Amino acid sequence: MIDVVDLVKHYRAGDGRIVRAVEGVSFAVRAGEMVGLLGANGAGKTTTLRMLATLLRPTSGTARVGGCDVVADPVGARRQLGYVSATTGVPDRLTPREILRSFARLHGLSDGVLETRVESLLGILDLTSCADRPAGRLSSGQRQRVSVGRALVHDPPAMVLDEPTSALDVLGSRDLLGFLAELRGSGRAILLSTHRLHEIEARCDRFVIIHGGRVVAAGTREALVAGHAGLEEAFFAAVAGAEPA
Amino acid sequence: MTTINTVNTIPPDAMPAADRGGLWPLWSVLAVARFQIGRLLTPPRLALAALGVVFPAAVLWAAESISEDRLSREAGAMILYALIPEAVCMLGLLMTMCPAVADELERGTWVHVAVRPGGRRSLLLGTYLAAIGWTAAVAMSALIVALLLGVIRDGTSLAPVLIGLILLSCIGRGALFALPAVIVPKRALVASVGVALVVEYLAGFIPAVINQLTVSLRLRSLLVKWMGWRREVPIQMQLLIDTNPPWIQVTAVFILAAVLLLVAVLILEWRQFPPSEES
Repeated sequence: MIDVVDLVKHYRAGDGRIVRAVEGVSFAVRAGEMVGLLGANGAGKTTTLRMLATLLRPTSGTARVGGCDVVADPVGARRQLGYVSATTGVPDRLTPREILRSFARLHGLSDGVLETRVESLLGILDLTSCADRPAGRLSSGQRQRVSVGRALVHDPPAMVLDEPTSALDVLGSRDLLGFLAELRGSGRAILLSTHRLHEIEARCDRFVIIHGGRVVAAGTREALVAGHAGLEEAFFAAVAGAEPA
Repeated sequence: MTTINTVNTIPPDAMPAADRGGLWPLWSVLAVARFQIGRLLTPPRLALAALGVVFPAAVLWAAESISEDRLSREAGAMILYALIPEAVCMLGLLMTMCPAVADELERGTWVHVAVRPGGRRSLLLGTYLAAIGWTAAVAMSALIVALLLGVIRDGTSLAPVLIGLILLSCIGRGALFALPAVIVPKRALVASVGVALVVEYLAGFIPAVINQLTVSLRLRSLLVKWMGWRREVPIQMQLLIDTNPPWIQVTAVFILAAVLLLVAVLILEWRQFPPSEES
């Protein structure tokens, strides 16, 4: 469902130097699978996810979502993808219902389907009780759920989430990750980035660890923790092994 | 959070044909326009709009007070042209069109719009529709209030002329301000003021090929033609108007707007905003 091969992103920073944000990253996420993209701040997680979401153009390499190349067929890729960014970007004045309606209209859902879809998402995301309250008065957990609903409004088979739990408390994180696990169960491909390893350790099917824009380790939890006390230690070891001597 | 068992798949026939592969998602442009109009309905924006509505009437009233008589049709037309299709439309479009991209970047909503199938172009074109709709509504209201004041002799006969000029001003200048909005989103207002001064009010008054590319030349020429002033314009001033028939002036504004919007859409589709440019 999501295929990334030798993806590279270089860009020129404000001071003129070339930033090598992503250097030949490759991985895949199959339908019905949840993959964690792990890395420290600045490792290249967000840049990789933004290339998948067609927000940034790769310097080289290929990325496909649902078989659609993000460069050759960005519109096709966008139809296949639900994207949740680290910042919810939920307009304060609008209600969850209005936000979901607006984004459903962007996908051109017919009016009947639109209302059914919005009501369904509000129920699933436990937002019915606050559906008509301005988003500025919602908790951070509720706002994140609105953001997830906005990404799901067109029923995409693949979801990409950039640090979706960063603004949530423990309970909010648990609920959201449980919800994502259910999405995976419904056959969707889920790729999420985080640096809060403990939250996703037991949830993801596989992990991709990136550091300095490169994949330094990848595999199932069992494969990665072999010889280590846990995923966190395996992560530190992978990152340390990638540092220049 | 409850269970996911009802995230049902949307049947393909519930999606419009355009979303299944078409090139021109008009519905999403209208969705953005509706969304942006909703955003404009805030007390500060409404207060500014009210100011725009009463300002021309206040100036007319002051002019009549000074002259101690009702204004002639010609003088009224000149004042209303300067105040409404020029000043009110220009200011209204500066406030509504310039932040088209910057607002989304600052609010963190850019990524959520840009990942939709027709997101970027819909954002620009929808904002354009909302901007010209909003500005034209304010300008028309200003015209109605000014004419109802009754300080211009035969003032109501000016309405068709000024309505036409308002619409063309909004269509042309809204498209003109789309370019700074996508090229320098965070400095769009300053850049647009510069564009307005340099392109519309400097190049527009240079009697050369360059002024053919300005909206102000078309509006002035239409005003002269529709008011029947052609013979009264001094020979030196005739260099500042175009003598082609009105349909050519109107077509020129539409072509100019279409080209500017096309270029702006292409730039926006091509542009990348790193995360550091948001918020």
